[in-house]
Amino acid sequence: MKKNTFYLIGGSIALALLVVFWYSVELHNPLFIEIAFIAGIALAYLARRKVTGIINDERDVKIGEQAMMRTMQVFWVVFCAFSIGAVMQILYVPTFPRPPAGSPPPILLGSRMIGYIQLGLLCLMIFLYVGFRIYYARKYGDFETDEE
Amino acid sequence: MKNKIKIFRAMHNLTQEHLAQAIGVNRQTILAIEKEKYIPSLDLAFRISRYFGVNIEEIFIFDEKTPVLVPS
Repeated sequence: MKKNTFYLIGGSIALALLVVFWYSVELHNPLFIEIAFIAGIALAYLARRKVTGIINDERDVKIGEQAMMRTMQVFWVVFCAFSIGAVMQILYVPTFPRPPAGSPPPILLGSRMIGYIQLGLLCLMIFLYVGFRIYYARKYGDFETDEE
Repeated sequence: MKNKIKIFRAMHNLTQEHLAQAIGVNRQTILAIEKEKYIPSLDLAFRISRYFGVNIEEIFIFDEKTPVLVPS
């Protein structure tokens, strides 16, 4: 499979996922998009393995590894900190000073907003990875000009 | 880690593309090694030296300024 064919397949998968997402929202059933997302990513991975003419040498692997490691080092701290706060709120962990008896616990963020923020953080991770990837690609000579 | 890949390439009248194809890496990797932006693995260093038919030390020069921990 040529590289351009793979990009076409990737675009088609993204479009199909958008349609399933819309369908899922219409039916108020998240199961469709969840299964479709996993299937779409699996399909993309399979298609990626069929692409010919791409040499993934040790330098590319190193750039990918370093970028992912740094991304995870930053991301897991931010994501975990936010998620701990969200769980504390969902579980109504007592706050200090204690609210008067009978009053509802203070809600900083609704469950829906927590979901949005977590999804936003996941999207941010992609940008973080791209940023680190560019940084390490530059460090390991990806943007060097040729003297030949 | 310094290297003489560029010199050996010139001696054998090879382009970066040809060398890269011969040893199974990207041309950008050869360029990065030549510019000392990337230190190749031992495996790749051996493949390069074997391709030119010389010992690894003839192409790659270890930087003596780099501190080496000697086991006591």
